[in-house]
Amino acid sequence: MTYRDYLDGKPTIVTAALSGGVQGKETHPDLPESPEEIAAAAAACEAAGASVVHLHARRENGERAFSTERFQTLTDAVREATDDVIIQHSTGGTAAPDDLRHEPLRTDPAPEMASLDMGPLNRYERLTSENTRALVSSLHAEMLDRDIKPELEVFNDGHLNETLAVLEEFEEPPYMNFLFGGGTTSPPSPRNLANRVENLPEGVEFTVIGLGRHQLPMTTQSILLGGHVRVGLEDNQYYEKGERATNERLVARAVRITEELGRPAATPAETRELLGLRGR
Amino acid sequence: MTEECPHLTYRTEGDDRSFDVARAFCTVTDSFVQPMRADVCNARYGLDPERDCEFYVAPERTDGGTVDPANGADDPTETDAAGGDEDR
Repeated sequence: MTYRDYLDGKPTIVTAALSGGVQGKETHPDLPESPEEIAAAAAACEAAGASVVHLHARRENGERAFSTERFQTLTDAVREATDDVIIQHSTGGTAAPDDLRHEPLRTDPAPEMASLDMGPLNRYERLTSENTRALVSSLHAEMLDRDIKPELEVFNDGHLNETLAVLEEFEEPPYMNFLFGGGTTSPPSPRNLANRVENLPEGVEFTVIGLGRHQLPMTTQSILLGGHVRVGLEDNQYYEKGERATNERLVARAVRITEELGRPAATPAETRELLGLRGR
Repeated sequence: MTEECPHLTYRTEGDDRSFDVARAFCTVTDSFVQPMRADVCNARYGLDPERDCEFYVAPERTDGGTVDPANGADDPTETDAAGGDEDR
Protein backbone atom coordinates (compact mmCIF):
# COMPACT_ATOMS: atom_id res chain seq x y z
CA MET A 1 0.00 0.00 0.00
CA THR A 2 1.62 3.18 -1.18
CA TYR A 3 0.96 6.57 -2.70
CA ARG A 4 1.24 4.67 -6.00
CA ASP A 5 -2.00 2.89 -5.09
CA TYR A 6 -3.65 6.28 -4.71
CA LEU A 7 -2.38 7.39 -8.09
CA ASP A 8 -3.59 4.15 -9.65
CA GLY A 9 -7.10 4.68 -8.28
CA LYS A 10 -7.13 1.51 -6.24
CA PRO A 11 -10.56 0.97 -4.63
CA THR A 12 -10.85 2.03 -0.99
CA ILE A 13 -12.39 -0.33 1.54
CA VAL A 14 -14.83 1.63 3.70
CA THR A 15 -15.63 -0.09 6.97
CA ALA A 16 -18.51 1.07 9.14
CA ALA A 17 -18.03 0.55 12.89
CA LEU A 18 -21.63 0.91 13.91
CA SER A 19 -21.81 0.89 17.68
CA GLY A 20 -18.76 -0.42 19.54
CA GLY A 21 -19.04 -1.90 22.98
CA VAL A 22 -17.87 0.87 25.25
CA GLN A 23 -20.39 3.64 24.73
CA GLY A 24 -24.14 3.48 24.26
CA LYS A 25 -27.24 5.57 24.11
CA GLU A 26 -26.16 7.36 27.27
CA THR A 27 -23.61 9.20 25.12
CA HIS A 28 -25.45 9.30 21.78
CA PRO A 29 -29.23 8.82 21.72
CA ASP A 30 -29.19 7.34 18.22
CA LEU A 31 -26.30 4.94 18.66
CA PRO A 32 -27.62 1.55 17.52
CA GLU A 33 -27.65 -1.12 20.22
CA SER A 34 -30.33 -3.71 19.49
CA PRO A 35 -29.94 -6.22 16.64
CA GLU A 36 -32.74 -4.45 14.77
CA GLU A 37 -31.12 -1.03 15.15
CA ILE A 38 -27.69 -2.30 14.17
CA ALA A 39 -29.10 -4.17 11.18
CA ALA A 40 -30.86 -1.03 9.97
CA ALA A 41 -27.65 0.95 10.35
CA ALA A 42 -25.72 -1.74 8.47
CA ALA A 43 -28.18 -1.62 5.59
CA ALA A 44 -27.99 2.17 5.42
CA CYS A 45 -24.20 2.09 5.47
CA GLU A 46 -24.07 -0.59 2.76
CA ALA A 47 -26.33 1.58 0.61
CA ALA A 48 -24.02 4.52 1.28
CA GLY A 49 -20.98 2.58 0.08
CA ALA A 50 -19.52 0.63 3.00
CA SER A 51 -18.35 -2.86 2.10
CA VAL A 52 -17.55 -4.03 5.65
CA VAL A 53 -19.53 -3.65 8.87
CA HIS A 54 -17.82 -4.10 12.24
CA LEU A 55 -20.17 -5.51 14.87
CA HIS A 56 -20.37 -5.64 18.67
CA ALA A 57 -23.24 -7.45 20.40
CA ARG A 58 -25.22 -6.00 23.31
CA ARG A 59 -27.64 -7.08 25.96
CA GLU A 60 -31.17 -5.71 25.80
CA ASN A 61 -30.18 -2.89 28.14
CA GLY A 62 -27.25 -1.89 25.95
CA GLU A 63 -24.53 -3.53 28.03
CA ARG A 64 -21.79 -5.58 26.44
CA ALA A 65 -22.39 -9.15 25.32
CA PHE A 66 -19.83 -11.65 24.06
CA SER A 67 -21.81 -14.88 23.81
CA THR A 68 -22.17 -16.73 20.53
CA GLU A 69 -25.92 -16.63 21.08
CA ARG A 70 -26.06 -12.83 21.16
CA PHE A 71 -23.71 -12.56 18.16
CA GLN A 72 -25.82 -15.08 16.27
CA THR A 73 -28.95 -13.01 16.79
CA LEU A 74 -27.09 -9.90 15.71
CA THR A 75 -25.40 -11.35 12.65
CA ASP A 76 -28.65 -13.02 11.51
CA ALA A 77 -30.40 -9.65 11.68
CA VAL A 78 -27.62 -7.94 9.75
CA ARG A 79 -27.55 -10.63 7.06
CA GLU A 80 -31.29 -10.36 6.68
CA ALA A 81 -31.18 -6.58 6.29
CA THR A 82 -28.17 -6.29 3.98
CA ASP A 83 -27.33 -7.47 0.49
CA ASP A 84 -23.68 -8.52 0.23
CA VAL A 85 -21.85 -6.53 2.91
CA ILE A 86 -18.90 -8.26 4.63
CA ILE A 87 -19.51 -8.95 8.30
CA GLN A 88 -16.70 -8.47 10.77
CA HIS A 89 -17.20 -9.48 14.41
CA SER A 90 -15.29 -7.83 17.22
CA THR A 91 -13.28 -10.08 19.51
CA GLY A 92 -12.34 -7.14 21.72
CA GLY A 93 -13.44 -7.12 25.33
CA THR A 94 -11.68 -5.33 28.13
CA ALA A 95 -11.78 -7.50 31.27
CA ALA A 96 -13.78 -10.28 29.62
CA PRO A 97 -12.26 -13.73 30.19
CA ASP A 98 -10.34 -15.29 27.31
CA ASP A 99 -12.91 -18.01 26.64
CA LEU A 100 -15.63 -15.41 26.10
CA ARG A 101 -13.42 -13.56 23.64
CA HIS A 102 -13.61 -16.58 21.33
CA GLU A 103 -17.39 -16.77 21.26
CA PRO A 104 -18.02 -14.14 18.55
CA LEU A 105 -16.09 -16.41 16.14
CA ARG A 106 -18.51 -19.32 16.60
CA THR A 107 -21.62 -18.14 14.80
CA ASP A 108 -23.08 -20.08 11.89
CA PRO A 109 -21.96 -19.07 9.38
CA ALA A 110 -18.76 -17.70 10.81
CA PRO A 111 -18.09 -14.04 10.09
CA GLU A 112 -15.88 -13.41 7.07
CA MET A 113 -13.67 -11.17 9.20
CA ALA A 114 -12.93 -10.54 12.88
CA SER A 115 -10.88 -8.04 14.77
CA LEU A 116 -7.73 -9.19 16.57
CA ASP A 117 -6.29 -6.82 19.17
CA MET A 118 -2.50 -7.12 18.98
CA GLY A 119 -1.57 -5.99 22.48
CA PRO A 120 -2.60 -4.32 25.71
CA LEU A 121 -4.49 -1.08 26.08
CA ASN A 122 -5.70 0.98 29.01
CA ARG A 123 -9.31 1.84 29.66
CA TYR A 124 -10.60 4.56 31.98
CA GLU A 125 -8.40 5.03 35.05
CA ARG A 126 -8.12 1.49 36.32
CA LEU A 127 -8.78 -1.07 33.60
CA THR A 128 -6.46 -2.70 31.12
CA SER A 129 -7.34 -5.00 28.25
CA GLU A 130 -4.36 -7.33 28.42
CA ASN A 131 -4.57 -9.06 25.05
CA THR A 132 -1.69 -11.37 25.89
CA ARG A 133 0.34 -13.03 23.16
CA ALA A 134 -1.28 -16.32 24.21
CA LEU A 135 -4.76 -14.91 23.67
CA VAL A 136 -3.79 -13.36 20.33
CA SER A 137 -2.42 -16.72 19.21
CA SER A 138 -5.44 -18.70 20.33
CA LEU A 139 -7.89 -16.30 18.71
CA HIS A 140 -5.87 -16.37 15.48
CA ALA A 141 -5.77 -20.17 15.51
CA GLU A 142 -9.54 -20.34 15.75
CA MET A 143 -9.88 -17.76 12.97
CA LEU A 144 -7.70 -19.95 10.75
CA ASP A 145 -9.81 -22.98 11.58
CA ARG A 146 -13.00 -21.16 10.71
CA ASP A 147 -11.63 -19.33 7.64
CA ILE A 148 -12.04 -15.90 9.23
CA LYS A 149 -9.80 -13.08 8.02
CA PRO A 150 -8.26 -11.25 10.98
CA GLU A 151 -8.06 -7.49 10.99
CA LEU A 152 -4.94 -6.83 13.05
CA GLU A 153 -5.67 -4.01 15.46
CA VAL A 154 -2.45 -2.04 15.87
CA PHE A 155 -3.09 0.53 18.54
CA ASN A 156 0.48 1.84 18.73
CA ASP A 157 4.04 1.19 17.62
CA GLY A 158 4.52 -1.45 20.32
CA HIS A 159 1.66 -3.39 18.80
CA LEU A 160 3.31 -2.98 15.40
CA ASN A 161 6.41 -4.66 16.81
CA GLU A 162 4.24 -7.48 18.11
CA THR A 163 2.56 -7.82 14.74
CA LEU A 164 5.70 -7.73 12.61
CA ALA A 165 7.25 -10.44 14.78
CA VAL A 166 4.54 -12.90 13.74
CA LEU A 167 3.58 -11.46 10.37
CA GLU A 168 4.47 -14.62 8.47
CA GLU A 169 1.77 -16.46 10.41
CA PHE A 170 -0.96 -14.48 8.68
CA GLU A 171 -2.36 -15.22 5.25
CA GLU A 172 -1.61 -12.79 2.44
CA PRO A 173 -2.25 -10.01 2.51
CA PRO A 174 -2.01 -9.15 6.21
CA TYR A 175 -4.62 -6.51 6.98
CA MET A 176 -3.65 -4.03 9.68
CA ASN A 177 -5.79 -1.37 11.31
CA PHE A 178 -3.93 1.64 12.71
CA LEU A 179 -5.58 3.59 15.52
CA PHE A 180 -4.90 7.24 16.16
CA GLY A 181 -6.29 9.16 19.11
CA GLY A 182 -5.66 9.39 22.84
CA GLY A 183 -4.74 6.93 25.53
CA THR A 184 -2.95 3.81 24.37
CA THR A 185 -3.53 4.55 20.69
CA SER A 186 -1.02 6.35 18.49
CA PRO A 187 -0.63 10.12 18.76
CA PRO A 188 -2.63 11.48 15.83
CA SER A 189 -0.56 13.41 13.33
CA PRO A 190 0.01 13.24 9.58
CA ARG A 191 3.70 12.65 10.16
CA ASN A 192 3.06 9.67 12.42
CA LEU A 193 0.79 8.00 9.89
CA ALA A 194 3.18 8.72 7.03
CA ASN A 195 6.06 7.23 9.01
CA ARG A 196 4.01 4.16 9.91
CA VAL A 197 3.15 3.52 6.28
CA GLU A 198 6.64 4.22 4.99
CA ASN A 199 8.04 1.47 7.19
CA LEU A 200 5.49 -1.23 6.42
CA PRO A 201 6.62 -4.42 4.74
CA GLU A 202 5.57 -4.78 1.14
CA GLY A 203 2.23 -6.42 0.60
CA VAL A 204 0.52 -5.26 3.77
CA GLU A 205 -2.94 -3.74 3.38
CA PHE A 206 -3.92 -1.25 6.03
CA THR A 207 -6.87 0.77 7.19
CA VAL A 208 -7.01 3.70 9.60
CA ILE A 209 -9.13 4.75 12.55
CA GLY A 210 -9.04 8.29 13.88
CA LEU A 211 -10.85 8.64 17.18
CA GLY A 212 -13.17 11.58 17.72
CA ARG A 213 -12.25 14.66 15.74
CA HIS A 214 -9.25 12.86 14.27
CA GLN A 215 -11.49 10.58 12.20
CA LEU A 216 -11.86 12.87 9.20
CA PRO A 217 -8.23 13.99 8.77
CA MET A 218 -6.58 10.65 9.53
CA THR A 219 -8.86 8.61 7.29
CA THR A 220 -8.51 11.14 4.48
CA GLN A 221 -4.73 10.89 4.73
CA SER A 222 -5.02 7.11 4.62
CA ILE A 223 -6.76 7.41 1.25
CA LEU A 224 -3.85 9.49 -0.08
CA LEU A 225 -1.34 6.95 1.19
CA GLY A 226 -3.07 4.03 -0.49
CA GLY A 227 -4.79 2.77 2.65
CA HIS A 228 -8.40 2.14 3.54
CA VAL A 229 -10.74 3.79 6.05
CA ARG A 230 -12.94 2.95 8.99
CA VAL A 231 -15.60 5.38 10.13
CA GLY A 232 -18.70 5.15 12.31
CA LEU A 233 -20.14 5.99 15.69
CA GLU A 234 -17.89 3.53 17.50
CA ASP A 235 -14.97 5.82 16.78
CA ASN A 236 -16.54 9.25 16.43
CA GLN A 237 -19.94 10.55 17.42
CA TYR A 238 -19.82 13.95 15.77
CA TYR A 239 -20.09 14.91 12.11
CA GLU A 240 -18.55 18.25 12.95
CA LYS A 241 -18.14 20.22 16.13
CA GLY A 242 -21.45 20.35 17.98
CA GLU A 243 -23.35 18.25 15.44
CA ARG A 244 -24.14 14.63 16.17
CA ALA A 245 -23.31 12.17 13.44
CA THR A 246 -25.04 9.09 12.14
CA ASN A 247 -23.24 6.05 10.82
CA GLU A 248 -24.73 6.59 7.40
CA ARG A 249 -23.56 10.20 7.12
CA LEU A 250 -20.03 9.31 8.21
CA VAL A 251 -19.87 6.58 5.58
CA ALA A 252 -21.34 8.83 2.90
CA ARG A 253 -18.71 11.47 3.63
CA ALA A 254 -15.87 8.95 3.47
CA VAL A 255 -17.19 7.59 0.17
CA ARG A 256 -17.55 11.07 -1.29
CA ILE A 257 -14.02 12.02 -0.27
CA THR A 258 -12.35 8.90 -1.62
CA GLU A 259 -14.23 9.16 -4.89
CA GLU A 260 -13.36 12.84 -5.28
CA LEU A 261 -9.74 11.89 -4.67
CA GLY A 262 -9.91 9.40 -7.50
CA ARG A 263 -10.25 6.15 -5.57
CA PRO A 264 -13.68 4.54 -5.82
CA ALA A 265 -15.22 2.91 -2.76
CA ALA A 266 -14.64 -0.82 -3.02
CA THR A 267 -17.65 -3.02 -3.54
CA PRO A 268 -17.91 -6.09 -1.32
CA ALA A 269 -16.64 -8.19 -4.24
CA GLU A 270 -13.64 -5.90 -4.71
CA THR A 271 -12.97 -5.96 -0.98
CA ARG A 272 -12.99 -9.76 -0.99
CA GLU A 273 -10.48 -9.71 -3.83
CA LEU A 274 -8.24 -7.15 -2.14
CA LEU A 275 -8.17 -9.04 1.18
CA GLY A 276 -8.23 -12.58 -0.13
CA LEU A 277 -11.62 -13.42 1.36
CA ARG A 278 -13.40 -16.49 0.07
CA GLY A 279 -16.93 -15.38 0.94
CA ARG A 280 -19.63 -17.34 2.69
CA MET B 1 -15.27 -6.94 47.30
CA THR B 2 -16.78 -9.02 44.52
CA GLU B 3 -20.44 -7.98 44.76
CA GLU B 4 -22.22 -5.43 42.63
CA CYS B 5 -21.63 -1.81 43.49
CA PRO B 6 -23.92 -0.38 46.18
CA HIS B 7 -24.17 2.79 44.11
CA LEU B 8 -25.63 0.97 41.11
CA THR B 9 -29.32 1.23 40.27
CA TYR B 10 -31.26 0.45 37.13
CA ARG B 11 -33.53 3.20 35.88
CA THR B 12 -35.49 4.19 32.81
CA GLU B 13 -35.28 7.89 33.62
CA GLY B 14 -32.64 10.20 35.01
CA ASP B 15 -29.99 12.74 34.07
CA ASP B 16 -32.59 14.42 31.82
CA ARG B 17 -32.97 11.28 29.67
CA SER B 18 -35.32 8.35 29.43
CA PHE B 19 -35.05 4.85 27.98
CA ASP B 20 -37.45 2.00 27.22
CA VAL B 21 -35.31 -0.57 29.03
CA ALA B 22 -33.87 0.16 32.47
CA ARG B 23 -30.16 0.99 32.26
CA ALA B 24 -27.33 1.10 34.75
CA PHE B 25 -27.29 4.36 36.70
CA CYS B 26 -24.56 5.50 39.09
CA THR B 27 -25.79 7.34 42.17
CA VAL B 28 -22.32 8.78 42.80
CA THR B 29 -21.96 10.51 39.46
CA ASP B 30 -25.76 10.86 39.10
CA SER B 31 -25.60 9.68 35.53
CA PHE B 32 -26.24 6.67 33.34
CA VAL B 33 -23.27 4.35 33.07
CA GLN B 34 -21.46 3.43 29.89
CA PRO B 35 -21.87 -0.24 28.92
CA MET B 36 -18.30 -1.22 29.71
CA ARG B 37 -18.42 0.54 33.07
CA ALA B 38 -21.63 -1.36 33.83
CA ASP B 39 -19.56 -4.54 33.88
CA VAL B 40 -17.54 -3.03 36.72
CA CYS B 41 -20.70 -1.93 38.54
CA ASN B 42 -22.07 -5.47 38.28
CA ALA B 43 -18.76 -7.06 39.30
CA ARG B 44 -18.75 -9.17 36.15
CA TYR B 45 -15.66 -11.03 34.95
CA GLY B 46 -13.94 -10.69 38.30
CA LEU B 47 -14.13 -6.91 38.25
CA ASP B 48 -14.42 -5.20 41.62
CA PRO B 49 -16.23 -1.84 41.86
CA GLU B 50 -14.15 -0.69 44.83
CA ARG B 51 -10.90 -1.51 43.11
CA ASP B 52 -11.73 -0.92 39.46
CA CYS B 53 -14.03 2.13 39.49
CA GLU B 54 -12.59 5.58 40.04
CA PHE B 55 -16.00 6.90 41.10
CA TYR B 56 -16.59 4.38 43.84
CA VAL B 57 -17.11 5.73 47.37
CA ALA B 58 -16.84 3.39 50.34
CA PRO B 59 -20.49 2.77 51.27
CA GLU B 60 -19.93 2.18 54.97
CA ARG B 61 -17.84 5.20 55.85
CA THR B 62 -19.28 6.95 58.89
CA ASP B 63 -16.85 9.81 59.45
CA GLY B 64 -18.99 12.24 57.51
CA GLY B 65 -16.03 13.25 55.41
CA THR B 66 -16.12 14.22 51.79
CA VAL B 67 -15.25 12.06 48.87
CA ASP B 68 -11.58 11.28 48.61
CA PRO B 69 -10.45 13.21 45.56
CA ALA B 70 -8.36 10.25 44.55
CA ASN B 71 -11.48 8.13 44.39
CA GLY B 72 -14.09 10.58 43.26
CA ALA B 73 -14.32 12.60 40.09
CA ASP B 74 -16.60 15.22 38.68
CA ASP B 75 -16.66 14.11 35.10
CA PRO B 76 -18.12 10.67 34.40
CA THR B 77 -17.53 10.91 30.69
CA GLU B 78 -14.66 9.47 28.76
CA THR B 79 -11.51 11.39 28.11
CA ASP B 80 -12.45 11.87 24.51
CA ALA B 81 -16.06 13.03 24.65
CA ALA B 82 -16.32 12.95 20.89
CA GLY B 83 -16.20 9.20 20.94
CA GLY B 84 -13.19 7.06 21.58
CA ASP B 85 -14.17 3.45 21.74
CA GLU B 86 -10.90 1.56 21.84
CA ASP B 87 -12.07 -2.02 22.10
CA ARG B 88 -11.98 -3.32 18.62
